[in-house]
Amino acid sequence: MSLQFLLDGLIAGAMIGLGAIGVTLTYSILRFSNFAHGDFMAWGAYAALAVVGAIGGSLPMAPLSFGWPLVLAMIVAMGLTALLALGLDWVLFARLRARGQSIIVVMASFGASMALRSLLEFMFTSRPTYFSRAIQIAQPVGLGIRVTADQVALLLLTLALVIGMHLFMQRSQRGREMRAYSQNPALARVVGIDVAKVVRATWIIGAALACASGVMVGVLVQIRPLMGLDLLLPIFAAAILGGIGSVPGAVLGGLIIGLSEAAAVQFVGAEWRAAVAFVILMAVLLVRPMGLFGVAER
Amino acid sequence: MTILQVNGLVAGYEPGLSIVKGASIHAAEAEIVVILGPNGAGKSSLIKAIAGLVPITAGQVLLDGHDITAVPAHLKIRQGLAFVPQTENIFPLMTVEENLHVAGGILPRAEVAPRIAEMFETFPDLARQRALMAGSLSGGQRQMLAVARALIVRPRVLMLDEPSAGLSPKLVEQVFARLSEIRQAGLTIVLVEQNARAALAIGDRAYVLVEGREAHEGPAKTLWDNPLIAELYLGHRKDAS
Repeated sequence: MSLQFLLDGLIAGAMIGLGAIGVTLTYSILRFSNFAHGDFMAWGAYAALAVVGAIGGSLPMAPLSFGWPLVLAMIVAMGLTALLALGLDWVLFARLRARGQSIIVVMASFGASMALRSLLEFMFTSRPTYFSRAIQIAQPVGLGIRVTADQVALLLLTLALVIGMHLFMQRSQRGREMRAYSQNPALARVVGIDVAKVVRATWIIGAALACASGVMVGVLVQIRPLMGLDLLLPIFAAAILGGIGSVPGAVLGGLIIGLSEAAAVQFVGAEWRAAVAFVILMAVLLVRPMGLFGVAER
Repeated sequence: MTILQVNGLVAGYEPGLSIVKGASIHAAEAEIVVILGPNGAGKSSLIKAIAGLVPITAGQVLLDGHDITAVPAHLKIRQGLAFVPQTENIFPLMTVEENLHVAGGILPRAEVAPRIAEMFETFPDLARQRALMAGSLSGGQRQMLAVARALIVRPRVLMLDEPSAGLSPKLVEQVFARLSEIRQAGLTIVLVEQNARAALAIGDRAYVLVEGREAHEGPAKTLWDNPLIAELYLGHRKDAS
């Protein structure tokens, strides 16, 4: 039996987990399910592609398939995706949140998602594209598992982002404010927390991580306007599985979903891959609606 | 000297549905002012409105002579007005120390750790539980944490909404004794309470709120004998002694 599915699942889980962090923060702090979050991933990937194109070609950093322009482009694209999210909040979500009906905001996020996707198709067409067309040879690492340098690099990037995110939420004042606001918005105001700053930080972090996830998908798979939509269900399943509001839960949820999908491909059949996230989502909602790290709503 | 002055405050959650209907109160420096009244009189809504959590439609709130009526809730604490809600007054999924840290965020960075240390000296029980999740504390410890969380920024006025709610008589005694000690340091305390006897025992002055406005004001020590209080709390009217 090949254990390759473990590595494949880990990589898919890393991409899902990064996306799920943004979804879980948006839900716990802004109190709505943002269905446009997957499109932040796609926009992030295309923004990085555009920046790479603007910088110009350079030799890859062997053994990776990409060079320093992509590293720089990803940082710039994270900023651009954050600006997109802040702009969308300013134009649409903030105005609807002020009315206090979260279902309207959720429906608006559906609309925003479709608009963002259509804009990408309009600008870049729906044809898949790539950061690099170089072919990487996967190297054996034992137990029948083979891994490429890009996969190792992106797993390390995910690890760094998750650790950084964890430290930010636990040690920084803004991170503590975000946690406090998600637990009790009224009390957060009473203790002097500026809600506007918490909302901004939530969008910036969520969008930046979505961009990183989108770039990972672009490097390891391909870039398409629908790439975010494809990952939306696994991302929501991961956020719910981990427990809404929990950053470590979102990452762990992502890894569980990713590994389950990869196991389904290996042991059941590739056609069942998409169903796995849905089955896990249903099971969690039935057995433990608050998720692995979540707490029951009061 | 008057620190907090509230003039003809009208406030409510829904437009056109006022709960506070023209209440006027004041509190002087280092004074404990008790606000009493039957259920639904608007006591909690009054201090929530002063704290910026209930929309104000008319009237004025002055803190140290400055009009803070329209100041957003998160800026009022920076001006020296602290509020401890009746329930859900701590962040349960954060440790005791994190609760203090997040509240101390408006202080200059160098002052936060020393102020947390001071709070742990003032509330030794909390120091022992500093690494515990606040949600696992007992009712009395939660109230102490909520008070410490409000005091960490050195407010001029501390408003508390029924700090005795859900506590045993012994814990109520402890919480109120601690409030008396805090007042000795020069802090003004505005206390909304259902437990009239305990609150009046530590109060200097008291208001009785009925249907959204003050129906009586007087020295706390003699208010228990007032016929209005007897009617509201004992269920019958008696003559003032």
